[in-house]
Amino acid sequence: MADDSLAAHRRDPIKSSVGNVAAQRRRQNAATVGKERRESLVRAKRLCRVGAPGDGDVPFEENDMMTDEEGFLLEDQTSSAVKELKSAVAYQGKGAMQKRVNALRELRRLLSKSEFPPVEAALKAGAIPLLVQCLSFGSPDEQLLEAAWCLTNIAAGKPEETKALLPALPLLIAHLGEKSSLPVAEQCAWALGNVAGEGEELRKVLLSQGALPPLARMMLPNKGSTVRTAAWALSNLIKGPDPKAATELIKVDGVLDAILRHLRKSDEELATEVAWVVVYLSALSNFTTGVLVKSDALQPLVERLATSNSLQLLIPVLRSLGNLVAGDSHTTSTVLIPGHEITDGVVKVLVKCLKSDHRVLKKEASWVLSNIAAGSIEHKQLIYSSEAVPLLLHLLSTAPFDIRKEVAYVLGNLCVAPAAGEGKPNLIKEHLVSLVQRGCLSGFIDLVRSADIEAARLGLQFTELVLRGMPNGDGPKLVEQEDGIDAMERYQFHENEDLRNMANGLVDKYFGEDYGVNE
Amino acid sequence: MAMVVDYKHDSSFPYWTSIRRRFDPDSPFFSSGNLERELLAKQVALDLTEDERNQLEKMIDNDARGVFCPIVGCGARLTSLEDFEDHYIARHTASCSVCSRVYPTSRLLSIHVSEAHDSFFQAKVARGYAMYECLVEGCDLKFKNYKGRQQHLVDKHKFPTSFEFFNKAHPSKKKRLKNQQKRRMHKKDEEASSKMEVENETIDGLVSAVSKLSTSDSSPSNISFGRRNARGLTFVPRSIHAPREKK
Repeated sequence: MADDSLAAHRRDPIKSSVGNVAAQRRRQNAATVGKERRESLVRAKRLCRVGAPGDGDVPFEENDMMTDEEGFLLEDQTSSAVKELKSAVAYQGKGAMQKRVNALRELRRLLSKSEFPPVEAALKAGAIPLLVQCLSFGSPDEQLLEAAWCLTNIAAGKPEETKALLPALPLLIAHLGEKSSLPVAEQCAWALGNVAGEGEELRKVLLSQGALPPLARMMLPNKGSTVRTAAWALSNLIKGPDPKAATELIKVDGVLDAILRHLRKSDEELATEVAWVVVYLSALSNFTTGVLVKSDALQPLVERLATSNSLQLLIPVLRSLGNLVAGDSHTTSTVLIPGHEITDGVVKVLVKCLKSDHRVLKKEASWVLSNIAAGSIEHKQLIYSSEAVPLLLHLLSTAPFDIRKEVAYVLGNLCVAPAAGEGKPNLIKEHLVSLVQRGCLSGFIDLVRSADIEAARLGLQFTELVLRGMPNGDGPKLVEQEDGIDAMERYQFHENEDLRNMANGLVDKYFGEDYGVNE
Repeated sequence: MAMVVDYKHDSSFPYWTSIRRRFDPDSPFFSSGNLERELLAKQVALDLTEDERNQLEKMIDNDARGVFCPIVGCGARLTSLEDFEDHYIARHTASCSVCSRVYPTSRLLSIHVSEAHDSFFQAKVARGYAMYECLVEGCDLKFKNYKGRQQHLVDKHKFPTSFEFFNKAHPSKKKRLKNQQKRRMHKKDEEASSKMEVENETIDGLVSAVSKLSTSDSSPSNISFGRRNARGLTFVPRSIHAPREKK
């Protein structure tokens, strides 16, 4: 049976030489399964397709795209396999156990062969009750493993297929316990992760059946693929929107320690899945956010951002950092104090993300910066004088739209002081003048022209700052030079009344009758 | 979205205020990162090429975000935000060749040209005909004077009181445009195209000069000035061509 060291290989699929041929065939058939494929890719569920080497199995074949004939054949084989399993389960004589394992193995192979396993056929043939029987207490590990594997893949597809696992849930949860062998526990966790990934309803069921504590405990060891799979399953289980599960998780003895430990020390793959758990812990409730901030979770997050180059890891780590900054005013006011080492560290890693090639990192790093820039004057000065500003200015004119919008938030926040009661916030003239001189205005006028309401509003608001705040009455001239008047005049026939009023108001106030007469 | 804007009751401008923005984990703000997570987790197993990935991302992004043109009466569906500018220029920049005012539909431009530059129109007004038509397509009401139509727009169609069809808000616009062009001409060193000699010419003179060069049909001239880079369309008022079709 697979042991820990072999289990570590389980998640690495073996790429065979027929890979390219299969890829080609797949592309040819792409149109027909385009939508199905897209959906399966985007789901939070994962197929288990590779086992541990050395279990007597044939080498893994890439056989993703099948002809219709091959598909029908597979369905037939699956129905037969289920029938075979049925008789094996009923059989009481000599060699019964081996018979059952063989039948399960055959079914498992059929359910692992392709990207779209014959789940419907298996369900129709009555696989679930049989698999539940195979999960009974006292069954040998091999049997438990194969049964859980089958259930994993049945649950990896369409919603109604995942829901079919309901009868199996209590047993799957039971086999998460410390008495189970690690590969068995891991495979059960995987199946449960798929179920949790289906939706809120199933998550509620799992939580009510007590899935959380055993999964949480599986995260406590220092390493192993079991820890990783459990973390992934937990991230699906606590993702909400109900914050109850997240709150429950963080209270489990030893979990917070384990999470911080993994963030600090574990290999990148494991840290990635744990980081996703932190993403949800940091965003779902004030309580969990607060606990993380107070436990100094920022430090290992910053450390990872500084040292890692794995996009898979950086995304959840960055987002966790962002959530902690956004969700708790404490973070900016008591932890990220300008001048402290950690604050410099945060700015540095955010700059690193701005420099990266990856869209998500640039966008979310800008978001985090915008929240820090929404802090005190000292925070604004800190960011203003950092390496971030030249990068942001460049992104404002060159990056895709969603990044530009976040960048706009940063730059604008740098130009206004924290709100103090009623009335318009004061300008930070030094920042405004400098940024405008470095050419940011055209980027904002571009946003004024956008069809996105939020972006257009940002553009108009910044334009107002320029019109009001540039010294020597330079504002209107500068805005005009960037075709700002044209951009604002577009709003006369715009369907959004707020934007119309904003734009008209600015044009009326700053480009009225007297404008330009004394040229 | 998480953004909150302060709106005062006296409807003054909603000034920029710097506030923290928080998003729920299932917010669309995070969807591209979530997608990236799943693609990265599965791409090795599925052997996705760079192309396939980009296609997928685009498909999912655009599915999630249907953008419609916000210009009144247009409602065109745009494939993406980036397309909006092209769409706007193609469909909503009908420019008056006489005075350079820009209107977002050919119909409105046509109305403007009649009202502002057609003496025949003015003659009929003087004789008491109801010539000022309502700007809202399908309304079909006509008024005897500009103010009457204006009031109708405000009362019936909820136009803002500050709205001005014949916008007198910047009467020096013509002058501004001339100055802008002067500045541009000085910058263009060796651009000695005779079309471009604009010193001391009025825009009207310019238009008639150029219209003699153009070989397209109908008058008035269909070259538009007044927009930077002269990106205005070749526009033919009255005979309403649909501007070049853009996806």
